[in-house]
Amino acid sequence: MANILWLQGGACSGNTMSFLNAEEPSACDLVTDFGMNILWQPSLGVELGDDVKNILTNCVSGETKLDIFVFEGSVVNAPNGTGEWNRFCGRPMKEWVRELCDAADFVVALGDCATWGGIPATAPNPSESEGLQFLKRANGGFLGADFTSKAGLPVINIPGCPAHPDWVTQILVAIATGRAGDLALDEFQRPKTFFQSFTQTGCTRNMHFAYKVSTTEFGQRKGCLFYDLGCRGPMTHSPCNRILWNRVSSKTRAGMPCLGCTEPEFPFFDLAPGTVFKTQTVMGVPKDLPTGVDKKGYIKLTGAAKAAMPAWAEQDIFVV
Amino acid sequence: MSENEGENISPEQVATDQALRKKLEHKLGSGLVTEVEPRAYSSNEVNAIVARLQALAEKDYTTKLITAGFTSKAYNPSDDDDDEQACETCMYYLVHRKFCELPELMLPVEESWSCRLWRI
Repeated sequence: MANILWLQGGACSGNTMSFLNAEEPSACDLVTDFGMNILWQPSLGVELGDDVKNILTNCVSGETKLDIFVFEGSVVNAPNGTGEWNRFCGRPMKEWVRELCDAADFVVALGDCATWGGIPATAPNPSESEGLQFLKRANGGFLGADFTSKAGLPVINIPGCPAHPDWVTQILVAIATGRAGDLALDEFQRPKTFFQSFTQTGCTRNMHFAYKVSTTEFGQRKGCLFYDLGCRGPMTHSPCNRILWNRVSSKTRAGMPCLGCTEPEFPFFDLAPGTVFKTQTVMGVPKDLPTGVDKKGYIKLTGAAKAAMPAWAEQDIFVV
Repeated sequence: MSENEGENISPEQVATDQALRKKLEHKLGSGLVTEVEPRAYSSNEVNAIVARLQALAEKDYTTKLITAGFTSKAYNPSDDDDDEQACETCMYYLVHRKFCELPELMLPVEESWSCRLWRI
């Protein structure tokens, strides 16, 4: 039996909504098949008021063993570092978060806001938001770079806006079944099993990427979304085209650009006008090139790819 | 063109493209002064030019050529051949149809042409 407590800070509940759609395993499977005991969760918990406070207090005191603490949303520090803008059970949420992180065997940050600050931490960051152990790319965040939970691991970051439901449930199962030691984390403390490959890995548009054919409108089946519509698939670490959404699709498969939501900088360019869904360029060359590719190589590759392009690559080859 | 090339494009469309391409070539070859510079090197500059193009009538080809800064030779900002900004390497260029697919332009072009909205 693993006790799980789940709280939300500066959150939209998107990760909870995503979690409730999990299929492999489902949220119910966590309880029935994997012996998890969800102490409280904002959308599932039946307790209110003082009853919730008692659950939290018992976890902090150790009366109730807290195996996994899941935090969704940013840690809100405003105004002036007090955290008063986000109160919960009679005190600033950040105070609960600190004590619960210290009490938990494992701490999981779920979604961009909990991992890196996400949209709330976008400049000028009026809510003084930060992630549990990162603020954008900077290690540290609310808990500090040296934080480890009782089990000796740093915060396990599952980013995304929202995170795919199965990333969440599979990580929770791994922890609850004693396999947390098998979780290899990358430099941003993301489980490598999900975040080593790229969003582009498995994208159905890879042929068009290879031959440098651009999609010019949303929803167009032909072409690659990277060249003009701001797709960040080649630079973003996620399995969105390996572990499909609702088992059937992904943004890029549906004709929408990847926004890079599993990377610390999300939302990119601070959402400045003209930067969303538009590839940013300098002298006609994308500012952000596919990971590992330099400008010189990119230009040479483009020339060669265009020269070799077969006619079908310019056409819509998908027949409904 | 091989037998498989351009299979989605009708012969009528090919002929229409060819006729318009000749017409545009003639305009460029007859001394049409276009806005070759300043180049649209930042995203803001690109957006500004695209906004001007969006205000044009679909068949206002001359103003399209002027606004986009078309030339019949590739623009090269340096001595480096890799920097040559020809339609041939542009993302909007359809190699087999010889066509610029930027929604605001949609023009038949030659691979050696160039414009300041070039994007690789």
